[in-house]
Amino acid sequence: MLNIINLIRNENMKNFRVVSTWVMVAILLLMVAIGGIITKTTSNSEGNKDWKAEISKQNEQFKSMLSEQQGLPKAVKDRYEKDIKINEYRIKHDIPPVETNTLWGFVISCIGIIAIVSLFTIIKAASSVASEFSSGTIKLLLIRPAKRWKILLSKYISAMLFAIGLLVVLFSFSFILGGVLFSFKGASHPYLAFVDGAVVEKSMVLNVFGKYGLACVDSIMMVTFAFMISTVFRNSALAIGLSIFLMFTGGTIVGLLSKYDWVKYILFANTDLTQYIDGTPLVEGMTMAFSIVMIIIYFAAFNFISWFNFSKRDVAA
Amino acid sequence: MTGKPIVQIKNIKKNIGKKAIIKDVTFDVFAGEVFGFLGPNGAGKTTTIRMMLGLMSITEGEIFINGYSIKKDFESAIACVGGIVENPEMYKYLSGYHNLLHYSRMYKGIKKERIEEVIKLVGLEKRIHDKVKTYSLGMRQRLGLAQALLHSPSLLVLDEPTNGLDPAGIRELRELLRKLAQEENIAVFVSSHLLSEMELMCDRIGIIQNGQLLNIQKVDEFLAEEKTTVSATFTVEPVSKAKACIGSIIKSKTSAVKNNQIEVEMEWEQIPEVVAKFIQEGIKVYGVQTATKTLEDKFLEATGGSEIA
Ligand SMILES: Nc1ncnc2c1ncn2[C@@H]1O[C@H](COP(=O)(O)OP(=O)(O)O)[C@@H](O)[C@H]1O
Ligand SMILES: [Mg+2]
Repeated sequence: MLNIINLIRNENMKNFRVVSTWVMVAILLLMVAIGGIITKTTSNSEGNKDWKAEISKQNEQFKSMLSEQQGLPKAVKDRYEKDIKINEYRIKHDIPPVETNTLWGFVISCIGIIAIVSLFTIIKAASSVASEFSSGTIKLLLIRPAKRWKILLSKYISAMLFAIGLLVVLFSFSFILGGVLFSFKGASHPYLAFVDGAVVEKSMVLNVFGKYGLACVDSIMMVTFAFMISTVFRNSALAIGLSIFLMFTGGTIVGLLSKYDWVKYILFANTDLTQYIDGTPLVEGMTMAFSIVMIIIYFAAFNFISWFNFSKRDVAA
Repeated sequence: MTGKPIVQIKNIKKNIGKKAIIKDVTFDVFAGEVFGFLGPNGAGKTTTIRMMLGLMSITEGEIFINGYSIKKDFESAIACVGGIVENPEMYKYLSGYHNLLHYSRMYKGIKKERIEEVIKLVGLEKRIHDKVKTYSLGMRQRLGLAQALLHSPSLLVLDEPTNGLDPAGIRELRELLRKLAQEENIAVFVSSHLLSEMELMCDRIGIIQNGQLLNIQKVDEFLAEEKTTVSATFTVEPVSKAKACIGSIIKSKTSAVKNNQIEVEMEWEQIPEVVAKFIQEGIKVYGVQTATKTLEDKFLEATGGSEIA
């Protein structure tokens, strides 16, 4: 009956007219800037000049290790062989390695800041539902010709738009600052991937976006979790606190429990999909497909609980 | 009643946990009338309003607004209702205008001109672009009224709207509500725990206590009744003889004797008859005082005299 776009516009208006949103954007920019300044002042640009000599020295080390130590595990051997091939390719085609004091190196090092984006999005998501209850505004919000699930969905979409906005800010600012501090010349450098024993050139932008995408899986799950907690308890402090606590300790708890097989059914054992790309899975036998299925199950369950609590329960605020 | 029923409340009950908060309430509110919902704190006014507006589920019974069931056809039913529940809580960090813009987007086809119109109607032109956190409670009530009127509803539900208003504000509100009912044929439903405000504002008053509707009466009937029954105090001697004398004329339940005074509730018309009888019996009459029972007394009587249930 009612246009959901209007509901999303409302949520965005409430989001952007509150001071804390802009404080968050400022903190994000500040963190990138500080990262840039530290990288600039601590790295010696001299070292960059003869990178060819440096990586050929590295290759010799790798080779001698491979020949001297026969008992190396296969994963380590594969790793060395891959690095050797990529280094040789770099020397041959004149593509310098991705150091943090290059444009792309800086952009990639800023991917860690996505954790802060998640943090901010959790805070926004949790308070967007719970603060309506604690301030009593929920009453005037729900006596309108809009189904409750639509209002909840508009809040969910608005929180995601906020997250995407912050990611765009993070990427653009780290790219621009990286270019300004370390020159834009590196922008066209490709990403070197190792596919079936051969080095292939791939788009660096797509590679970085892929890394952003994987990092986002974690954020989406935490936001969904925050929504669930805030619809159940209708209390922002609890929803924010619990989500942030789990966001920071989830990985550690799962790590401590990794000797048990059942740990693979815990959400946090599955949200880090990079474990299948360049790392070893937490529990042997876990696959990317398994984790994706687990993530989808948790996602559906969280959303069902949110919807049920938001749509069906009495509003006594 | 001349208008058609806008709200039909049919045998509604509400239990929260094991506690029965509303116990079988039934009434209608008609187009063009101001209906007062009067009851002491904790009587169940807000709970009834929450059910009318779909914020709380109805344990038993049905509520229809313009013929649509609030349970089964929420969107159609609520589209023609504007309201405030308890305090008019709005987004404090937004301006009054942005609050109205926010609510206007939740209906179809509300134009900017309509927003301006309601701002003028509630008299907030000067402060509408200030943040709501700078508003006084009275201004928040006005803004609350503005958001309730945005979509030209056929039913206006206001929960204790006079809270925080000064006497001039109360008078303005009264005039506005009467105007909306008379000129735009809106059904207005107002709750309050203060009878004095209701008697000037409303056409009919329903009294609720402990989740039960005690009676519904037209305000003019209320007032007419008031003229006929009075509380008369006779200062006489001897008192005991006078008491017996009164007993022979009227069957009054309430008669209190204090020193040489007797207080009786009786018909205004009967006072001369009683005095004549006293004189006939040789009773000395020093004075007769009458006091009409105020609505307040009636209200307290109806609700058993306790303010807090
Ligand atoms: N969420 C709730 N849980 C339990 N009891 C409630 C709840 N809300 C209201 N009540 C009780 O219901 C009764 C009626 O409350 P309410 O409708 O707010 O009264 P009023 O608005 O007439 O002052 C009160 O006794 C109150 O304690
Ligand atoms: Mg109340």
